[in-house]
Amino acid sequence: MIERLGLLIPASSESGDLGAVLSLLAAPLVMGVLASLWRPQHSWPVALLSLLPIATLALLAHQVLAADGQAWLIELGALTLHWRANGLTLLLLLLTQVVSLASAAYAPAYLRTEIGSHGGQVWLWPLQGLLLSSLSLIWLAGDLLSLYVGLELMGLAAVGLMLLPGRVDALAAGMRYLLLALVGSLAFLLGVSLLLGAWARLDLAGLAQVAEPGIVLWVSVALLSAGLLLKAAAFPLHAWLAPVHGSAWTPVSALHAALVVKGSFFIALQLWLVLVPDAQVAAWLVGAMGGTAVVWGGLLAWRSAKLKEVVAWSTVSQIGYLLLGFSLLIGTSPSVTAVAWEATWLQLAAHSLAKAGMFLATGNLIFSTGESHVKGLAGASRRMPLSLLSFGIAAISLIGLPPSAGFTAKWLLLHASLEAGYWLWMVALALGTLLSGAYIFRVFRYSFVEDAEPLDYRRVPWSMELFALLLALSSLLLGLVAEWPLSLLRPAGGGP
Amino acid sequence: MPPFLDVLLALTVVALAALALVDRQLVRACSWFVAFALGVALTWLSQGFLWLALLEVVFGAALTGSFLFYSLGVRPGAVEPRGRLSRWRDPLPLTWRRGVLRLLPAVAVVIMLVMALADFGQVPGPQRLGGLGLIFLGLWAFALHRHLLRRLLAFNVIGTGIFLILMALVRDTTPAAGHGLVITGLVVALLGTALGSLLIRRLNGLDASRGSSVTLAEQGSG
Repeated sequence: MIERLGLLIPASSESGDLGAVLSLLAAPLVMGVLASLWRPQHSWPVALLSLLPIATLALLAHQVLAADGQAWLIELGALTLHWRANGLTLLLLLLTQVVSLASAAYAPAYLRTEIGSHGGQVWLWPLQGLLLSSLSLIWLAGDLLSLYVGLELMGLAAVGLMLLPGRVDALAAGMRYLLLALVGSLAFLLGVSLLLGAWARLDLAGLAQVAEPGIVLWVSVALLSAGLLLKAAAFPLHAWLAPVHGSAWTPVSALHAALVVKGSFFIALQLWLVLVPDAQVAAWLVGAMGGTAVVWGGLLAWRSAKLKEVVAWSTVSQIGYLLLGFSLLIGTSPSVTAVAWEATWLQLAAHSLAKAGMFLATGNLIFSTGESHVKGLAGASRRMPLSLLSFGIAAISLIGLPPSAGFTAKWLLLHASLEAGYWLWMVALALGTLLSGAYIFRVFRYSFVEDAEPLDYRRVPWSMELFALLLALSSLLLGLVAEWPLSLLRPAGGGP
Repeated sequence: MPPFLDVLLALTVVALAALALVDRQLVRACSWFVAFALGVALTWLSQGFLWLALLEVVFGAALTGSFLFYSLGVRPGAVEPRGRLSRWRDPLPLTWRRGVLRLLPAVAVVIMLVMALADFGQVPGPQRLGGLGLIFLGLWAFALHRHLLRRLLAFNVIGTGIFLILMALVRDTTPAAGHGLVITGLVVALLGTALGSLLIRRLNGLDASRGSSVTLAEQGSG
């Protein structure tokens, strides 16, 4: 498994190679700071300028794909940082760029019309840049120190973004999120400390070789996973997610659900694959947590009164599918892991795009009706066909109907569960699909109520409609071209 | 037998942390915390980590301390705290059941940590035991205290305990990597405390302007 993560790629000695990576990491940060000086009033400059980091990514992709993966050693005095990039890294980087581009291009119209001049608008751009940079660092990092730095920067930027509305409920939710994030990072640091104390190294490839099963390894993996799964809103540790999303700005919620929770999940899965690749029972337990999350999150999404809570609880449920990946990837036969590997990353990508699109579409619905409750949507179908269309397209992927990427991912998950003989997972998948159908159609049922009293609707700016629709469409289209991301994921030799 | 001075220093640090976490008066608790940070700086100095001592004084004592005092509304001129800080608590009241539920993971972490440290095999020095004590104290305070400022203090104490254990473990093998982790951790702790302090101050302001903390509690738990 470790070679699929790209950790065994030998480091190249040429120092010029670093340029593309460093510019990829620095570009969002610089642009974020610049954007806070000249606050954008329209979407098109943001969209145009966002092409710059995408261009740096294209440059990096050109280098990496030509060499079938690349690794870098960064010497800082006596410290050595290990970074690497392979097909998976490129896929995650592209996903990060696309989602944050759409959310950033959505933001100007949203801020202008919905927020007005109050709230910490200026801070949105640098914090979003920091979030993007730290996520890129997490995807690239091949040692625990870089991962720690990336995780912390991501957590603090996310807390900052959540606080921006400045209202009491946002501040109270943000405070709880801050405390949780800090506790999670303490657990992570403690785990890293034990690993470093026991084996005197931080690079993942080296640790994979020298780490021996024993109390120290188990305690440190338990601490690391507890911290990371807390931040990823995995099942028993998910309670903070819904209140935090309920009070945050729409583009921030989209970014958070699509990317931030995925960052922690990615680190956790990577550490398990590196440190405890044979821990079948523990991985099965995580998978069981995932299965419970799928059902429980779906149930609560179905029962939620508020629109944003429906979407937030559906995140808990969808993260559950990712957790199933733990049990299918660790300690199972090679034929199962081959399928589960593709299923996990495709599910991650599909959920990110669909959930971001759905959050933006939900934001449009709330903006237009001024109602945050599901019942307030009564009669919305006549006035907002486009927002509802975006919502519906994103929902196709979330439920897992063909031809969306969500369908392909769940199909692969089902296939892997069948082959591994985990019958319970198939029950969870079936229940999860039914429940997600139920909570989506509950929203639609209210919006198609015809005899509702007419509310005063506000016209939604075109850019807000457009980017919600684009994200939702991309999650659908990813299913049609799923062969392309999957070919990036395959081990060396099968690459494009 | 570890040197007498090291033992004394570790005991002092743990005692100062305990004072910072149990003192009922918040301004005094924050003062104890600054003293605690200075004690930690002395510990680093006694182990020969000059840079960490310097950073601890600047980040841990000076900057974190000033943010803590800022959140209390204490300024050099006026010592009396302003605002109604004492009223802003965790929106959920602490019941016995909730307290036990929160203490359970804390106890589990401490037990796991003791087991792991025992597995290392070397005779634990005063730093490692002191760090363990700090983690224990901090976890206890974090689980049971309801006031946000106290929880921030507890978070800082736990962090310091982890740093002490980390440096004690890696002192002879890879001090560079340990330095990297501790410095990152110090910056993160400072930023987290700063964010928390600004938040507490802001919540106080909003609370005072609303005149009622009941609505606040309702919204927070909703």
